[in-house]
Amino acid sequence: MAGRWMDLGALNARGLPGADALGVAIERMVTGIASSVESERGLAARLNYLTKTDAGYEAMDRAGIHVSPRTLMAWLAEERIPSKANRSRLDAAYWDLRRRNVAADFKKRLNNHGRGTRVEINPVDQTRVEGRHQRDLSSRSLNVRGVWDRAVDAWMNDDYEELDAVWDDIIEDLGSEYDAYSNVSSIGWAA
Amino acid sequence: MTEKLSVEALLEEARLNASIPPPAERLRLREAAKLSRAQVAETCDVGRSTVANWETGHSEPAPPARLPYLRLLKGLAEIYPPDSAPVPAPASVPAAFTAAPETLRGPDGRAIEGDPGPCIRCGIETTYQSTDGRPLHSGAMCQPADPAAPQTTPPAPAAPAATTPAPVSPTPAPVPSRPERRARSAARAQADTTALITRAVQDEAERAGGDEEAALKALIKRAIPDVMHLFNETRATARYDYTAYPAVPDVLKKPSKKDPDQIWEARPKFHHPGYSLKVPGDVKVTALDVNAAYLSALKCWLPIGKLEHSTGTDGVDPKRSGVHLITPGEWAHPHLPDPIGDRDEPGALWVTNATLRLLQRLSGPKYGLTDAPVIHESWTSGATENFLDALRKLLSAARDEAIENNDTLTLEYVKAMYSKFISTMGESIHNREMVRPDWMHIIHSQAYANLWGKAYKASQAGLDVVAMMGTDELHLTGDWRKVFPEGRGVSQMKVKHGEGKATGEYTVGTVGSVDR
Repeated sequence: MAGRWMDLGALNARGLPGADALGVAIERMVTGIASSVESERGLAARLNYLTKTDAGYEAMDRAGIHVSPRTLMAWLAEERIPSKANRSRLDAAYWDLRRRNVAADFKKRLNNHGRGTRVEINPVDQTRVEGRHQRDLSSRSLNVRGVWDRAVDAWMNDDYEELDAVWDDIIEDLGSEYDAYSNVSSIGWAA
Repeated sequence: MTEKLSVEALLEEARLNASIPPPAERLRLREAAKLSRAQVAETCDVGRSTVANWETGHSEPAPPARLPYLRLLKGLAEIYPPDSAPVPAPASVPAAFTAAPETLRGPDGRAIEGDPGPCIRCGIETTYQSTDGRPLHSGAMCQPADPAAPQTTPPAPAAPAATTPAPVSPTPAPVPSRPERRARSAARAQADTTALITRAVQDEAERAGGDEEAALKALIKRAIPDVMHLFNETRATARYDYTAYPAVPDVLKKPSKKDPDQIWEARPKFHHPGYSLKVPGDVKVTALDVNAAYLSALKCWLPIGKLEHSTGTDGVDPKRSGVHLITPGEWAHPHLPDPIGDRDEPGALWVTNATLRLLQRLSGPKYGLTDAPVIHESWTSGATENFLDALRKLLSAARDEAIENNDTLTLEYVKAMYSKFISTMGESIHNREMVRPDWMHIIHSQAYANLWGKAYKASQAGLDVVAMMGTDELHLTGDWRKVFPEGRGVSQMKVKHGEGKATGEYTVGTVGSVDR
């Protein structure tokens, strides 16, 4: 993270690091099964999704679901219902796989054939900062391109350092004041 | 010319020519009989394009082909008298759907596009084709030859605006009480934006090749991107930028996808305790409907930037808007709907600025109906009432025009645009252009506040409010036409018809004594 804004909140400004905001904004793009895993419909849909491909079985492995093929068949046939612990693991496995699967689509949408995506950056909330310490920060909007592959990969792998580096790359284009946008209140885009 | 024409034949020709039908009627007659131009042309021994010229009025029939043509027309006129079929009105969209003969369709029912060429019917270039592979506007959507047609006369930008009153003014012309302040360029820009709506409708109608249902489906599908585009167009020369993705306070966050946030929109669900459907009686009640309630509610105070927190009455200012935590005063008027809606639990609640403004008005000296609400805290930002006004005027003008022309396609399209705009401006996967749940709530409660105003107006005029429900439903006793104008305009009311007992005009009985 760049610059002098390392210590967010020392002067009562409120916000979050740009890398976090970036992750939140990418996270907002994720769609998937709306029904909860506790419902019959949601559970069946998740099991279906996870057992369709090899990647699904790998995702279940990663989430710590180690059951016999017989049990799995019984779940799929709705003869037995997974235990509470396994249900939450199934949910985790589903969203893990879902994120991996949508990542390629996100990259495509955000790169937008090389044209990039316009990002709105809203500065930290300074309402509680004492007047003499307040900076004159406005909402900024800039077109971001070329970094989206890295950003999406970092988000998928929970690589905070890489996301942070990506954010630093993004705000450099804001000009001399870029430092003030290391922390933000929110960012957003339409993609 | 071997056959020598007799005097009778000449006389007949002269008689027929004296009452020759106008070009549009010639076209109608031929189409009514499902004859092709080629058939007519062969009978009269002329070229197909000559017949086309007769039917468009480019030329008049001349001997020797005139006599057979006139005879044919006379015979057809006897079979298909003018009232039997609607005269093809010059290309208003729905009328055009009635004559959709021979467009080349794909398996999905949509018209197929090919190489551009002059349309065989109207001569204007088109990419659509007829079933025999010649260029033809799909679904008889030919550009009309009639200059009075509304959609095909693009406003000539070079011509001085004073001499071109044509480009349909998007705002219903108000009675000028003060000099016109708007620049002409602004009017032209607005006309351009209006053209986006008509063009979208025309495009989809053409692509659907005469299938009105398919066209409507396609239009509704593109309503969200289209309305966002319209909105951005109206913001093009705006003075300030709004925040599309602000940090949202916790009260506006939905705990999960299906659970609501903490904002109380004050949706009304009021039934007068003195009247009941279950008791037999003869009190006449009319169920009324506010037209396009959400469209009118676009005029409301909307916060421009990110919402900021303040405690006490600090955040309350005529020029600010947002959401407020309040404890409303007690409502002691059982015959009038509670402006806060049918709330069961007492105590403080988060309401929008639209509701707060209504409550403050009602506690003021003019109404004096309730105590002022106690305001605990607020999330607000600087606000303007004109934010969506340009969009509202635009859609409302398009709506009025569609009603006037009986154009269901445009009407439904406009309806889809404004309702989807409001319902997806919060958090929605269908519209990622903005995340403003606060705006959505404020517009909703503005619609409810507007409805409350109508109920109060009726009550002041001596009518009883039997019920007030949802966004736009108002049930009144007595002669409501003295209070509200009837019609489909946004400032008018119409009788609500629907399923169930309490629609249209119905009767209820009284419970106890109705005192006001």
